[in-house]
Formats: sequence, C-alpha cells, structure tokens
Amino acid sequence: MWAFIFLAIPVSFYLVVVIYPLVSSFYYSFTDWNGFSDTYNFVGLDNFERMKTDRLFRNAIENTVLWTAAAIVVPTTIGLLIALALHERGILSRVYKSLFYLPICLSLVVIGQVWIWIYQPGFGLINIVLKEIGLSQYMRAFLADPDTALQSVIAAWSWQQIATAMVIFLAGLTAVPKELTEAAEIDGAGYWRTVRHVIVPLLRPASIVVIALSVINSLKSFDILYMMTRGGPFHSSDNLAMMMYNESFQKYYMGYGSAVAVVLFLITLVVIIFYFRQQRGLEQLYD
Amino acid sequence: MSKRRIFHLLILAVIVLSTNAVLVGAQSEVSIVHYYSDALGQATMAGILEGFNAANPEYAVVDNSAGHEDFKTQILVTIAGNNPPDIFSYWAGARTQFIVDAERLTPLDDWWTETGLDEVVPAGVKAAGTHNGHVYNVPMNVHVVGFFYNPKVMEAAGITEMPATWDEFLTVCEALKASGVAPIALGSRNRWPAQYWFDYTVSRTAGPEYRTKLMNGEAKYSDPEVQVAMEAWKQLTDAGYFAADANAYDWDEAANMVANGDAAMTLMGTWITGLWNANGLEPITDYDFFPFPVIDPEIPVVVHGSIDGWVIPTNAKNPDGAKALLAWMLTPEVQQTWALGQGALAASTAIDQTAYNPVMAKAAAYLATVDFLSGYDLSTTPPMAEGGLDMFAMFMNDPAGYVDYLAETQLVFDDVFGG
Amino acid sequence: MTEATRAVSIPVDSASATSRRAPLSARLRTVILYLLLTALLILYSLPSIGVVLTSLKSNAEIGREGIWTLPDQASLENFRVAWETGNAQKYLLNSLKVTIPATVISILFGVLTGYALSKLSFPGSDSLFTFLVAGMFIPPQVVMIPLFRMFNRAGLYDTLWPMIIVHIGFGIPICTLVMKNFFSTIPTAIREAAVIDGANELRVLIRVMLPLSLPSLAVLATLQFTWIWNDFLWPVIFTRSDDARTIMFGLASLRGQYSVAYGTQSAMALIASVPTLVIFIFFQKYFIRGLTLGSVKG
Repeated sequence: MWAFIFLAIPVSFYLVVVIYPLVSSFYYSFTDWNGFSDTYNFVGLDNFERMKTDRLFRNAIENTVLWTAAAIVVPTTIGLLIALALHERGILSRVYKSLFYLPICLSLVVIGQVWIWIYQPGFGLINIVLKEIGLSQYMRAFLADPDTALQSVIAAWSWQQIATAMVIFLAGLTAVPKELTEAAEIDGAGYWRTVRHVIVPLLRPASIVVIALSVINSLKSFDILYMMTRGGPFHSSDNLAMMMYNESFQKYYMGYGSAVAVVLFLITLVVIIFYFRQQRGLEQLYD
Repeated sequence: MSKRRIFHLLILAVIVLSTNAVLVGAQSEVSIVHYYSDALGQATMAGILEGFNAANPEYAVVDNSAGHEDFKTQILVTIAGNNPPDIFSYWAGARTQFIVDAERLTPLDDWWTETGLDEVVPAGVKAAGTHNGHVYNVPMNVHVVGFFYNPKVMEAAGITEMPATWDEFLTVCEALKASGVAPIALGSRNRWPAQYWFDYTVSRTAGPEYRTKLMNGEAKYSDPEVQVAMEAWKQLTDAGYFAADANAYDWDEAANMVANGDAAMTLMGTWITGLWNANGLEPITDYDFFPFPVIDPEIPVVVHGSIDGWVIPTNAKNPDGAKALLAWMLTPEVQQTWALGQGALAASTAIDQTAYNPVMAKAAAYLATVDFLSGYDLSTTPPMAEGGLDMFAMFMNDPAGYVDYLAETQLVFDDVFGG
Repeated sequence: MTEATRAVSIPVDSASATSRRAPLSARLRTVILYLLLTALLILYSLPSIGVVLTSLKSNAEIGREGIWTLPDQASLENFRVAWETGNAQKYLLNSLKVTIPATVISILFGVLTGYALSKLSFPGSDSLFTFLVAGMFIPPQVVMIPLFRMFNRAGLYDTLWPMIIVHIGFGIPICTLVMKNFFSTIPTAIREAAVIDGANELRVLIRVMLPLSLPSLAVLATLQFTWIWNDFLWPVIFTRSDDARTIMFGLASLRGQYSVAYGTQSAMALIASVPTLVIFIFFQKYFIRGLTLGSVKG
C-alpha cells in the first residue's frame, strides 16, 4: 500500500514525460518521414533492413562499443584514485575537490573548443610539449587523423567524466568505517591490499552508480563529440548517437534516424538488465 | 461596501479590461527566428527589428536567434510540431527546396511583385530563392566565394599581378612556395570549407550546366568530368601548395594563417572580411580579393557563394506581420546597415554602392558581371551533401585515393537519387 | 554492524594496532601525497586553464598566437561584454528558476521510488526498477518532437515549464538508481525497529531514512544541479522569446554562423560555472562521514 503511494506520482510523471514520447517516436522508425512533411509512408521494417548493409551503422556500433569499454575502465579508476586521495584530509582537500570538480561545471561548448586547441597540430598544447621535449616524431594532427580521432575524443570525454566519478566515490567513502581507511593509510605496504580487498568491496553501491552512469553517458555522448569532430574525419569517430543525429537532422532521414535510436535503446536496455542481474546480490550482502 | 460602489468598481474593471484588450489587440506579435546569433549579428539584427517596431507600432517583434545547428534543429521541430515562427532566416538553395517540397513554405510571388523587388534584386539572386517556379526565399544578403589573400605575403614573393588563368595561378603558387610560405590555407575540419574547391574546379572545367546537373542527380560522380575536376584540385595538393593538415583546422584558423602571413591565400566567402575587420585588419593593406581563375576559357564563368534569405512557413500565425517585416528587411537603409555590419553584399542593389570597403566593392563588381551559383552543400539535396562533404575531407587527407572516394560517393548518389 | 563489515574489519584492526604510532612518517606521507596531487591537479586542470587563458584574450590575439601563451595584457573586457551584451543577468535568473525546482523535485521523486523499491519491495518491483532506470538511456534528440507537440498543445511553449518538467522526468532514472542503491545499504532492521515503534512508512522515511541518506542526497543534488544547469538543448526546442532563455543557451548561441567570439564565450562559461561550483562547495560538507555511521551504530 505504502509502496503504491510512494510510487504513484513519480511513475505516472515518468510515463507521461519519458515513456509516452519515447514510444511515439519509435513509431517513426517504421516510416519514411523526412521530418518536415505532413505526410509519410509506412514502410514496415525497411529501416531496420537497411542497417544490415549500412557501413556507417556498423562503424558506429564498433565505435560505441570501444567508447563504452573505455567508459567502464578509465573514468572509474582515475575517479576512485582521486577520491581516495582526497577523502577526509582537512580543509585543503576541500579546495582540491572543488578544483577537481571544475570540469563538469564548465560548458561543453567551451571545453570542446579548448580540447581542439590541445590537439591542434600547429599551436596545440600536446604538440608544443612534444616538440619542446624533443619527441617531435610523435607530433600529429590528432583530431584530423582517422587513427587517433576517436581515442582523442574519448580522452577528452573521460576527463570530464572523472569528476562525476570522483564525487560519487567521495560520497560512497562516507559509508566506509573510518578505522579502515586510516589504518590502511598508516600501514603503507598494506595500503593497496586494503583498498582492493576491503574498501573497493565496500564501495560497491557507489561503483554500481559510477559504472552505470559512465556507460550511459558514453552511449549517449554527443555534445563533446559534436564540438570536437562531428564524428569525423570521415565518420572515424561516429557513435550511434552521432549517427542518429546525422541521419535525422542532417540528412533528414527521420525514419531511419528513429530506427537507429530504437536499436541504441534496445542495446542499452540489454546492457542494463544484464548489469543489474550481476548486481542482484547487493541487497543480500547488506541485509 | 454599497451596491453602487460595487457597480462602479465593476464598470471600472470592464473599462480597464477592455482597454487592455484593445491595446493587446492593436499590437500583433510577429515572431522571427534567425541564425545571426553571434554578438555582432545579434546586435545588428536587434537594431533593425527595433527600427521596424518603431516604424510599425501595430506589430511587436519577438526576436530569437540560435547558433547554426541548434537553429536547424529548432526549425525542424517547430515546423513538425506545428508552431513555427512567422518568419525565419534560411539558406537559399537545396535546403529551402527541401522544405518547399515538404509543402511547408508560403510562395511569395505576389508579395514580391507588389513590393517591386524585381527592380532592386538582381535576377540571378532572385533565381537562387525561386523553387518550382515560385519565390519562396527572399534574399537578405549575398556572400561570394573567392581568394582572400595577404598582399604583404604576395609582395614578399614578388607577385604584383593576381592570377586570372589557371597557369598564372600555378605560377603564383610556385613562387609563393619558393618564398617559404604555404600558398593556400584551408581549414576543412568541418568539411564545408573544402567544398568550394570542388565547386570551382567542376564549374570551371565541366561548366556550370554540368555542375547543376550533377547537383540535381542528372549526372554522376563516376563521370569523367568529375575526374577532370578532381585532377585539377589534385594538381595543387600534389605540388604541396596546401598548408599541412587541412582537416585539423577550422576555416577561421585558416583565415588567421593568412592574416599572420603563414599562408598567402584562402578560398573563402566574403564573411571572412567580417572576421578580419573585427580583428583590426585593414582592407587592401592587410587583405584583398581576387576571383577564382579561369581554367577553360571556352566555359562561361560563374561565381559560387551563398545567399541568406527569409522564408515564411505555411502555418505561420501572422503571415501579414511577417510580410511587413520582410518588406522592412529589403528597404535600402536596412540592407545597407546589414551588409556593412555583416561583411556581406546586400541583396538589394538600391543601397549606396560606395559604402562598401574597397575589397567588398571588388567582390560586388565581380558578382555584377557573372552568374551566381550556390555552394555545394546548398546546391544538392542534404543526404547527398553529407556524402560529398565526406569525400572532400577524405581527399584532403589522402588526395591519391580520390578515385576510390568518388566511387563511394557514387554509392551515396545511387542511394539518394535512386541510381 | 553488518555481516560484511564485521568480516572485513578484523585484519584492519590488527594492522592499525601495529603501526598506530608513526606520526612523523604519516606527516611526510601527507606532504608527498599533496605534492603528487598538486602535480596531478595541474595536469588535470590544463583544459580549465585553457578556458581561463581564452577568457583573458581578444579574438585577434587568439588568432595571432593561439591560446597557450600568457595574454599580452590581461583584460577583463571579455567578462564585461559577456555580462552586459550577453544578457547574462536575465539568463542566469532563468537558469536558477529552472534548475532549483527541477533538482529538488527530481530528488524528491527519487527518494520516494528508491525507498519503495528497496525497502517495500513487492512482486515486480525489480522489473519496475529496471523500467525506471532505462529512461537514462534515451537520447534526448529522440523525444524532442513528441515532447514539443505535447507542450505546445498544453500551451506551455515559450515558458520555463517544459524545461522544469522534462528535467524532472529525465532525472527520475538517476535519482531512483542512486537512492535505491543507497537505501539498500541501510539494514532493514532499522526500518523494522521504527515500524514496531508504531511509525508509518512516511514517518520512517522522513525521520529515520532521510537523515541517514544525507551524503547520497548531497551527491545527487550536486550532480543534478550541474547537469540541469549545463543543459542547452531543451531551451532551443521549447523557447522562442529572450525572456525564457537560460545561460547555457545564451552561451551556445555566441557561436554564430560565421564567427565565434572565443574570449567572450569562455568568459561567460566561467561566469556560468560559478553557481555549480558554489553548490558543490556547499554540499561538500555532507561528503564527510559521521552521520551515517553514528546513526547505524545508535
């Protein structure tokens, strides 16, 4: 009874604002709508058939997988390390925390531009440094090179994602008994062992949130990619979100774009169901 | 409270309400959405709209601007959702054609004639906004694409005459290269700046008629004509005339290379003058213009560029207000303010031509003598343009492989135009 | 104490007993740690420093020498322009009007769903949880058109309401995920004890559970505030007049068709980041342990 009372308003809100629009836009994936016209034809599964032979779709799937894999590892690990280093270290660590948090406060529009200037071949930061320290053979146009464009964007994205991971781990660390972290701290040799075998397992609820968020953001990531490469050069950094945008709003294949969105949604749904199955043990652990 | 007082109050209330209603009724709202969202464009446009409000107190303009891509999304969603603005800016050419074909734009032929625009707008400019025989896109300004160069760099390489033919152009490039600067800067990270190379090489070697066919799907990317054009472009990349890593830069960075003297010239639209003027460069002394050279003297010369115009959607709530505003946009005063503010050429020739700076005057003079054709992404249908733009960027990355890229582009073509 | 914590705390107790007296080396450790952290922080902050450098330069200067040099003469001109011509004040106010209610209500909803799904589970509650969390995966571009039609019909177009409503709706998944995960770490015994004392579920939630969940609420508030604040897609779709625009939209708009005012944009980005930083600093104090454990033990 109470469960119903608590759930009624949020769930109905969610149904109206999120699910209803989602379902109604899935409808377009069975049409050839161009986005502008009043009229369109019902084409059945044509849009889904088309994906089978679409090189761009295949490419976008591969890039999305790579991005997701990086999302599971990179921001999570670095975010955890920073959180451990900053957890409860007095007033100075508060200042540090804020500085580490700054990246997510800055607008992506501006961040994307600065990362372009970091990767720029001529006056870009990385290349300036490489030149100064005599490693000019490694200088390159990172974003213009199809071999490095995607990785470069993922690095920039991870940079911002780290801040999110750090915040969640910091909150998660509040649930770890103080004696544990302190003791591990003093006993230097055992520190990493304690982190691995004691603190990390205790951070499981936080890790679930961090990984879920990281994966989700990677699957949806669009803004920073759009700012930095628009999926280029020649689609080498396209992901599914970018492809969906291109099909729907650049080429005006709204029907096909919606179909890509359906696939993106289904993939992620499978991922999350699988993921939560894995985490099912959580409640038992804490009860 | 006595009944009389209540009665008086009621009367008062009715009077207040009705005067309010009259006031509200007298002013009809005209909503406008445009993509002039940078500080300068926004300010100039706001001034123009204020002028309209002052001259036409019966209308109240709701001004709205968004950056390029946000703008495109916003327009699509508001049209699809049946609440579009009364008037919005749009690129003349294939993009307007697309919305015309979706039957979402109002034809403006009668309004055009009534306003007497045939007398002030050149036929070629009008043609760019005419689709299926009707005027849909009313031009606001014209940008022409040509070479913008740094005169000091040219001088240092001993070049005094700007090239008019392809051979002269090659000689100039060679001299520049010998003097130690990159002859040509190109920033094709966002692909479109590379398109003008394709535009000009095709229309200068195969002719404007062929190019129009190619854009409309009546000629193919596998044609020998296209290969000839690509070979002309490749001649320049093979000789090392382009600054390195074109795909790593945006067009404004290429413009900076020219301004800083690291490169001599860039093939770009007149909007580049807006950027340079804002950065304190002086026309003629710091930058100058020459048109794309002639490759085949037998072929009629055209100029490529883009036209920004205004369109009125079919489901506009206030089409009369939109037309009144549109007429205001085409008055000589507004046209002049706008052109000078934007570094663009006015669509109307009724403005004071001497107001242009000397470089813009050159561009205007050139436009007056030749036919106008829109640039690639405004000339061919949007999905085809996506395929073509990819090809240009791939070409800049690896010119030697262009035959393969053309084959890929032809696949896109087959898909779009039904092979 | 729970099974898990008790099990793991044994080796640690012995470890701390052996090396408790080492204040000097501990202090040295802290110093080294801070040195390392500072190096890492500087490296990590390079992009942010890039934004600051950009904000201090004129476009002409950026054009001449890029951004990775110190400005010829640092000037706050960009900040003045951003503040005055960018309509920053009005936009900031609109952003607050959207962000604060959307943050508060989405977290409130998350608390309700998270508690119901973790402590009052019923047949099908796992599926409902997956269903609610799945909303996180929806790319916003997909639902733009249906949402636009909905708000247009409701007469809410060109007001701040659509943004508030959409951010609440799309905030439900993450808030549910975080709150459910958090509540599931609180021993059921605590709730049961309160129920036996005669408290109803609402009371248990407010009096017992909420005080325990302050760190989670703080992290959610911080993140939700930041995300909603930084959004600029929805204002593009749902508003037309200047009166309903947010700061992030104003910022994105500075990128014109043919020109970008890099300096002004960076200055505005820095101005716009102040509220989110303030929120972070404010909520940071709840990241400090004590509350949780104290209550659990009591």
